[in-house]
Amino acid sequence: MAQRLGKTVSTEYHSLDILHEISFDLPAGATLAVVGASGSGKSTLLALLAGLDTPSRGDVHLAGQALGALDEDGRAQLRADLTGFVFQSFQLLPDLTALENVMLPLELIPRPGRSRSAMLQKARDWLERVGLGDRLEHTPRQLSGGEQQRVALARAFAPGPQILFADEPTGSLDSATGERVANLLFELNRATGTTLILVTHDEKLAARCDWRLRLEAGRLSEFVRVVA
Amino acid sequence: MRLLWRLFRRDWHARAWRTLLYAVTIAIAALTAVGLLASRMERLLAFEANSLLAADAVIVADHPVPEAFARMAATRGLQQAALTTFPSMARKGESAALASVKAATPAYPLRGQLKIAPQGQVGAVPQPGEMVVDARLAALLDAQSGDAVQVGNLNLKLAAILEREPDGALDFSGTQPRLLINAADLPASGLLGFGSRARYRLLVAGTPAQISAWIAEVKPKLGRGERLEDAREARPEIKAALERAERFLRLSALVAGSLAAVAMLLAARRYATRRFDEVAILRALGATRKRIAGLLFGQLLLLIALASVLGGLLGWGAEAALITLVRDRLPANVPLPDWRAWLLAATLGSALLLGGAGPMLHALSRTPPLRVLRRELTPPASVWLLWCTLALATAGLLWLLAGEVKLALIAGGGMLGALLLAGGAGLLILLGVRRFAPGGTAGLAARQVLRRKALAFAQLGALAAGLLGVWLLTVVESDLLSAWKSRMSGDVPNHFAINIQPDQQEKLAALFAGQGLARPVLQPMIRGRWMLHNGQPVDPARYPDDRARRLAEREFNLSWGDALRKDNRLVAGSPLDESKPGLSVEDGIAKTLGIRLGDRLAFDVAGTRVEAPVVNLRAVEWDSFRVNFFVTASRALLADQPASLITSFNLPPQNRGLVPQLVRTLPNVTVIDVGQILGEVQRVLDLASAALRLVFFFCIAAGIAVLWAALDATESERTREAAVMRALGASARRLRRVWLAESLLLGGVAGGVAGVMASLTGWLVGREVLQLAIAFNLWLPLLSCIIGALVSAVAALRRLSRLAHTPPVDLLRDEG
Repeated sequence: MAQRLGKTVSTEYHSLDILHEISFDLPAGATLAVVGASGSGKSTLLALLAGLDTPSRGDVHLAGQALGALDEDGRAQLRADLTGFVFQSFQLLPDLTALENVMLPLELIPRPGRSRSAMLQKARDWLERVGLGDRLEHTPRQLSGGEQQRVALARAFAPGPQILFADEPTGSLDSATGERVANLLFELNRATGTTLILVTHDEKLAARCDWRLRLEAGRLSEFVRVVA
Repeated sequence: MRLLWRLFRRDWHARAWRTLLYAVTIAIAALTAVGLLASRMERLLAFEANSLLAADAVIVADHPVPEAFARMAATRGLQQAALTTFPSMARKGESAALASVKAATPAYPLRGQLKIAPQGQVGAVPQPGEMVVDARLAALLDAQSGDAVQVGNLNLKLAAILEREPDGALDFSGTQPRLLINAADLPASGLLGFGSRARYRLLVAGTPAQISAWIAEVKPKLGRGERLEDAREARPEIKAALERAERFLRLSALVAGSLAAVAMLLAARRYATRRFDEVAILRALGATRKRIAGLLFGQLLLLIALASVLGGLLGWGAEAALITLVRDRLPANVPLPDWRAWLLAATLGSALLLGGAGPMLHALSRTPPLRVLRRELTPPASVWLLWCTLALATAGLLWLLAGEVKLALIAGGGMLGALLLAGGAGLLILLGVRRFAPGGTAGLAARQVLRRKALAFAQLGALAAGLLGVWLLTVVESDLLSAWKSRMSGDVPNHFAINIQPDQQEKLAALFAGQGLARPVLQPMIRGRWMLHNGQPVDPARYPDDRARRLAEREFNLSWGDALRKDNRLVAGSPLDESKPGLSVEDGIAKTLGIRLGDRLAFDVAGTRVEAPVVNLRAVEWDSFRVNFFVTASRALLADQPASLITSFNLPPQNRGLVPQLVRTLPNVTVIDVGQILGEVQRVLDLASAALRLVFFFCIAAGIAVLWAALDATESERTREAAVMRALGASARRLRRVWLAESLLLGGVAGGVAGVMASLTGWLVGREVLQLAIAFNLWLPLLSCIIGALVSAVAALRRLSRLAHTPPVDLLRDEG
């Protein structure tokens, strides 16, 4: 849930409102497409919702927890507990294998009772689910763009996040590959019941979401439930 | 831990990480090698110096050495010998002379050798019933081998003429000729009765560990009139040479360490830049700053551990290889080095790495997670904070290694000066090029460099520091070493003649002329007992320091005229005014005895009290082997006092006949052969030269690390720049020309500044620290400028030519 969210950037001469009075409430398990022209503030909104950046005004509640009450490390902990990410440029660590990349978030936040072999098995299972069971030991350089994004999907879903943030997940892919990755994303999302917040330019992709939020020059111009 | 290990393992493939590992390893290897070598050299020289004691350790007493000390030595399995020395008359027929009798047990000497005339064969303590005497006593008694000589109640057969005894040089103040007998004859001689002026010595020898343990046990039990003798303290020449050699080594280690620190800083910057994205992802995935910092510093610790092992092995191997190479110039029993040098080197290397890379990694851990969406975001890092941290770490290292503030300041100042000057001068030159040649390749190159002023400044500084280190170690150190060598070769005095009476000057000169030698320079020597210090009676018991107590107890040799010699340097006060009473004191002894400028000292010279204020303090180059005095006075104070004369001279082997001739003609004159001590000093010099060659390689390696890291530092920017320029249609040839101009400019400016700084630093270190005068090297700046430009151009072009030929799209993909 976002409450009167605003972001202002100050330069030497003037200050600029990037986001202005954004408020909305998204039910758990829903899928939301954030759309708008370039520079309308989509990525800024995503960063604020995910706790990657702090708002100038207002607050964000994720699964009932207010981000404004947390410091940077508190937000990091919350991200580890609740969220997953998929980026336009994949953001895989170039020198780790596909398996190691998927294991990364599992290892980063150790949980009691989660052994290394269990983590390894989980990472393998997720790579199997995205169709890369035979590419476990390949590094990102040895994978195509579509394959890299599938590894990124496995990495995002492996820790079992409640909310998944995706920034233009098909933006770097050709349309056929993008379509396949999008199918996989929505399929996994449905299977896990994760809340999905997606920033995209792609109207077709946006149309697959339950909800749509449109930004125009930093203002909320539309927040509607899309009827399929 | 597994994640840490995986990240560490993966880093192995990153060039910046390898540069960092290389720089730390080189620093630790250089410091280890120097430390091991210095410790080995110190032990070796201590061992060698012990041959001047004829033992590893000696207790000297004015009464028979208590049995307990010998028992302690026996328990530890040490070799032992005993000496008793005292003055007595020796007679042969009508001839008689006062001799210094030495009664020795057969094991004497435990270190070094007795040499017998005329061929210098190895001799031994005479059998009971026999004696050996030195050439001077033989001349005075007109005795030859086989003659009977009487000493006390004994009538002994003269078995041989003694040419040299290992501990003879230490008896510098002894003016009597030597007579050596077997200790078994001593009781029958009837010479040692109540009140006899005998000195008793217990000599011991063994392994360094045994000796240290014995000394530790004996020291607290020494009673009145008993002390441990120290050869190095007794011979300031050796002490001075050893200290100078150590300074040379330290200076070299300083250069290697400082260079490695610069390389570390540059490599750390590049390493951090490459990891911004990775850290941003980890943070977006929920890793806290603490966890990231833990991972980064954990990796740093693993790197330190790896570099410590590699550097330690490399340093140890290099030192061992050097010792093998110079084995034939070393004595058979070379002591082992002190392994703690490695521990110290690893600690210092780690401190440098933490100083150089620590702030960068700390900043890296603060990479904003938002960078996953906005790549232009970087962590807030202050360049000045980094430089300050590194400067502090380096200053600490310099101070620790140099062991003295002045050397640390000069070396550190030289390095920092080169960094700042090269950075500043380089920027000015580039600004000039941009302004006055805006259109050409050079202008474009200058514009490219000036777009990243801070980086260009750092790169220029680092290049200059790298070259400065190399020059300091090659040209400057070789200049300094040559200056030292030239001083220690040729006509360095190897003999002293003392107790010459003023009316014997002409006879002495005639003897020298007869051998074709120059007239000796004579210096008056007046013996005086120190009576008062600022009006207070001198009480040796008041000094807590053992050495100070002994100095205060003994008579001083005073002198006047021509006092401030070439190898003396005024450190405080003003030159002596010959017309007014005044004293000049050597600064070392002044410190030991608590004498300050302006203090009044009074001496008893043959029953007359002479008193004057201390007008100056001076530093003496003891290893010049010229006549020097702890205390000298103005002509007005001492010219009327009874004096004998002293001289030092170089006696080439073919003129050895002068000594017996001199003793026969002037029987009161004592000639002391210091050739053995001179040999020790020359050995120190030899070892120092060998050691420097070893350290030199490490410094070159560290210099290469700096150059490598400096050129690496801009690689990301170069890749992006190449991509854009290629995409905009620049030909590979054009790109290469711009880069060539750019690297020639950078390398040339850095090289020129490094050359000037190296000449200046060398001149200063020579003058202020090592007291060696070398000329300012005028060719070095020019040579350095050319070499700097060439090295930089070759290195940059080799690396960048790949970029010039790669399609822009691939470059952009690489860069992303």
